[in-house]
Amino acid sequence: MAAEHTATIASHGDVATPGRGSGISRGMLAMIIFIGSEAMLFASFFAAYFMVRYNIADNDWPPVKDIATGERFEPPVVLTGVNTLFLVFSSFTVWFAEHRLKHGDRKGLERGLLVTMFLGLTFLVVQINEYVHLGFTPQDKAFGAAFYTLTGFHGLHVFVGLCLLLICYLRVKRAHDFTPQWSTPLNAASLYWHFVDVVWVFLYVVVYLI
Amino acid sequence: MATHAPTHAHTEHGHGHHAPPKPLWYWWKRAIVWTISGAIAGIALVYFFRLVFGMDPLWQPQAYYAAITMFAGMGFVIGIGCFDWWWAYLRGKRVDFEDHSLHGAKSWRDYLRPNTDHKVIGIQYMVATFSFFVVGGLLAELVRLELAQPGMQFADAETYNGYFSAHATIMIFGFVIPSFAGLANYVLPVMIGAKDMAFPRLNALSFWLLLPAGVMLAVAPFVGSFSSGWTAYPPLSVQGTTGQTLFECAVQFAGASSIATALNFLVTIMTMRAPGMTVWRMPLLVWANATTSGLVVFGTPFIAGSQFMTFFDRVVGTNFFNAANGGDVIMYQHVFWFYSHPAVYIMMLPGFGIISEVVSTFARKPIFGYRAVAFSTVAIALLGFGVWAHHMFVSGMASWLRIPMMITTIVIAVPTGVKIFSWLGTIWNGKIHLKTPMIWALGFIFTFVIGGLSGVFLGTLTSDIALTDTYFVVAHIHYVFFGGSVFTIFAGTYYWFPKMTGKMYSETLGKWHFWLTFVGFNGTFFPQHWLGALGMPRRVADYDERFADMNLIVSISSLGMVIGTAIFFYNMIYSWKKGAPAPWNPWRGRSLEWLVSSPPSLFNFDAEPQVVGGPYQYGIPGARHAVVYAGDHLGGGELTETEKRTILVVANRTIASSGLLDQVRAKAAEGFWRFTLVVPAKGEDHRAAERRLQIALAVLAEAGIDASGTVEDLSPLEAVKRVQEEEPAHEIFLATLPLAESAWMRQDMVDRIRKASGLAVTRVTVLGDDARTAVRSGAVRRVAVIANDTIGDAGLVAALRSRADEQPLGVVILCPLSLDSPGCSDDADRARDEATVRTRALIEQLQDSGIQAAGEVVDGDPGAAAKIARTDYGVDTVLVASYRRSTGWVVGQVRAAVGDTAVEHVVVDTEAPAAPSGA
Ligand code: HEM
Ligand SMILES: [Cu+2]
Repeated sequence: MAAEHTATIASHGDVATPGRGSGISRGMLAMIIFIGSEAMLFASFFAAYFMVRYNIADNDWPPVKDIATGERFEPPVVLTGVNTLFLVFSSFTVWFAEHRLKHGDRKGLERGLLVTMFLGLTFLVVQINEYVHLGFTPQDKAFGAAFYTLTGFHGLHVFVGLCLLLICYLRVKRAHDFTPQWSTPLNAASLYWHFVDVVWVFLYVVVYLI
Repeated sequence: MATHAPTHAHTEHGHGHHAPPKPLWYWWKRAIVWTISGAIAGIALVYFFRLVFGMDPLWQPQAYYAAITMFAGMGFVIGIGCFDWWWAYLRGKRVDFEDHSLHGAKSWRDYLRPNTDHKVIGIQYMVATFSFFVVGGLLAELVRLELAQPGMQFADAETYNGYFSAHATIMIFGFVIPSFAGLANYVLPVMIGAKDMAFPRLNALSFWLLLPAGVMLAVAPFVGSFSSGWTAYPPLSVQGTTGQTLFECAVQFAGASSIATALNFLVTIMTMRAPGMTVWRMPLLVWANATTSGLVVFGTPFIAGSQFMTFFDRVVGTNFFNAANGGDVIMYQHVFWFYSHPAVYIMMLPGFGIISEVVSTFARKPIFGYRAVAFSTVAIALLGFGVWAHHMFVSGMASWLRIPMMITTIVIAVPTGVKIFSWLGTIWNGKIHLKTPMIWALGFIFTFVIGGLSGVFLGTLTSDIALTDTYFVVAHIHYVFFGGSVFTIFAGTYYWFPKMTGKMYSETLGKWHFWLTFVGFNGTFFPQHWLGALGMPRRVADYDERFADMNLIVSISSLGMVIGTAIFFYNMIYSWKKGAPAPWNPWRGRSLEWLVSSPPSLFNFDAEPQVVGGPYQYGIPGARHAVVYAGDHLGGGELTETEKRTILVVANRTIASSGLLDQVRAKAAEGFWRFTLVVPAKGEDHRAAERRLQIALAVLAEAGIDASGTVEDLSPLEAVKRVQEEEPAHEIFLATLPLAESAWMRQDMVDRIRKASGLAVTRVTVLGDDARTAVRSGAVRRVAVIANDTIGDAGLVAALRSRADEQPLGVVILCPLSLDSPGCSDDADRARDEATVRTRALIEQLQDSGIQAAGEVVDGDPGAAAKIARTDYGVDTVLVASYRRSTGWVVGQVRAAVGDTAVEHVVVDTEAPAAPSGA
């Protein structure tokens, strides 16, 4: 009896089946909603950042770190700018990986994923290096807190994105997963990766540039 | 090497290949090991970090406590098995996306570990959240105890703060939010015609994330100050210690849990609705939960953010809220309330949905203004994101925000009013049935209107400046949370209790619960409006003498709710175990959950249902909401409770055996079966067959199983054919004695019936003893017959037969042998043998007449026999059989021996038909 039930279920409930009327698979839909939720997490930190920023007397930004020396907080714009390019480029490589799969080129898919992960890892390493040489800590004024919280949470999301890509890579290598017709987990991971990039671009512009 | 999509994986790894399930303790042992390892890993990680980054001091206890809590919590969730599937997936194992090995519960044990069945998860949620409700309620009583008199009673200010903070937090994050998730988890997939939630494993994870959160909150007040309330404003929350850390971790766990559930609901509602279930045919509960889920998904990250920031300030030493270093305390309130005002609607909208279901069903009328209600739900959710600063009117925030926020706040009252008018319009001229869920719904409307009105006072800037931070706010939040949310949870729990448990609850107790709670509630919270208006501040352990009387009234009234709640738990637990079986549709509801069995089958629907109309068309002739079909194994076609599928149960001697009846009972639990018992008695004693049939029918009727039966003067084959002509059957049970004793088996009856009927035949083997001795059931009267010289007399048999015709009997023959000579003489042996032979003959005679019987010869007088009858056989009645010439002293002796068991005297008259004398 139980076996009969499950058999009926399986034919209806496959994750790859597009949802009724939406033309989008459940996995992708879930990822989109999840990204919305993540975006709100960043929104809460950006809100905190802006409130702190516009609270500073006579809008003196970036604020003075040490009144005695008059030294200001100065995040490294150029180095991080280059780093930003790495991350933006990785969005293209992951798109490329998906694209190769659509053409049935599994080697291309693997290479695309590897390059993406390499770029992402480079970004993280450069970011950590930046932390070490910044010259201010999270404890330095509210600016330090907001700066480290924003970049730190972003770094954490890059790390999560890397894990998702790694899982996809492992699935490709070990389980020969994903076909040109069905690759929901891969598409979801890649969408998440794009999201992490977009957040970074926004963050870079807001926190470093203006 | 061919690649494969998961669909292939499914067929390759069909079901039934799973390793045998591990026992429960295995999972809990693993959970404990992982919890402890998690804690250790947390310590190690923080130590490593602080060492590498040269942080000073190396030992910052709060950092360690936080890491221990978070990692131990995650360890628990991993250890109990929530991630096993994903772990296999990421290692590149072949996994089955449709892995249902954890679906459904067979015993209570399956509720104590991750399960992917939304129905099991729903019940897990309900049980867990009601437990948290008890914890939160006890904390509230501690608060009221302290406040019963002015002055400090038993708690100092710090402890008191810990009590009310934990009370509020547990009630909000541990009870109201997740119990709505639990109710919706159970009924929402069924309501939209889905077999489960979109992501069953994520669903299980959501529940198991909640448990650590609840435990953290319950522990928090006892491990050091946690005094900043559920709102956790800095700077107080930044000064807090371990309790505050636990609070912050708990909020993250509970938040993650509710985001995961909300995401799951959204995808489920968007993609898994049955054919025909357009958005305008969705029950309002579905609308409410879809909207609420949107609020959760987009709002909850803000409270996560706010708690991260207070946590960093306290533990890492950042300066988010330290004005001296450029921080901003008011910023916390903005971020917090940007979530927490929508959160009050997260805690209210699902309740609105429940009330719409209940009111429409029990007023027997379509929802008044269905679309307006659906739109107002969405409007409340959207507007809800634009009113947060009404909690901050006096906080010192930018003053230009005050007027806009006041206006949006008052505007929200409009869509809320739409709902109230919809309920009133639905009730208006309805045919109202005052069942418990409806009474709760009406009580809800009453109290919620009061709460909404006090909300308008608070939303109006000018009055709020006077009322804020007084007991007026406490009165408001309890009128909307308790009189609002909690009343709806009770309404929903009673409403769907029959569906979830398959049992009916007690209406009387439900009403007691309501009235005690309703009176106690208003007695507790209504006076708080005055207290607030008079200026009694909230969140303070002591107060001015002049508030003393009213506070005493408040504290005493709160006991009404305690007693009411105790009755509720008694009702739920007792009815769940012992309640009468629930029909499919006790309230004559229209939505899909009422068109399937109670509880629904393993995957709710065996064939996809078809939705054909709106969900609330009560009183509209011919209108239907949906059509539910039977699965292929039931022969397809429309499935309704009145059109249950029939199973023919074919048996003769074994028809009243406990083995067969147990099998029938187990089958009946699936919900969609009725039974026709067929007794083919060709060339046999019809009266005997009739008596056995009556026993079987009585036992089944008592268990609430729909069954009827006939005795046919035909062979089994012919009998089945004849019955099949009258009513279509879908399956056959054939009960026989074991192979060696069964004539039917020798005639190869199973195969022949299968061929002749074209149906599946299940053979049920019944042992001879099982068939001959009485079934234990309340429907069968257990009778002991104490007789000696009348044994062997046809008159006694006739007497018992006529009794068995009146009522199903199970008979025990006891033959007392009072021997004057010592027990082991030859005489005695002979007498005993002779009595045994006579008794055995009588038993066989009875069995042949269709009366189930057993018996023994008893050493001793009739009194001793009567004692045995009572203690060993537990009989209901003792019959003393004697010839007319015997005297009444035997009866007296028996009466004395059995106490209050009924004793009757049967006078056996060989010539005259036997009749009981009135003795
Ligand atoms: C017409 C509808 C409502 C209006 C106009 C309204 C307005 C307000 C206002 C202005 C406050 C702030 C009081 C103060 O702190 O000075 C408040 C507090 C509160 N409201 Fe409402 N409210 C409404 C409905 C609700 C509902 C439906 C709920 C929840 C189910 C709710 C839950 C709360 C809670 C929990 C607080 C206290 C928060 C705290 O701890 O400070 N309200 N309400
Ligand atoms: Cu509010």
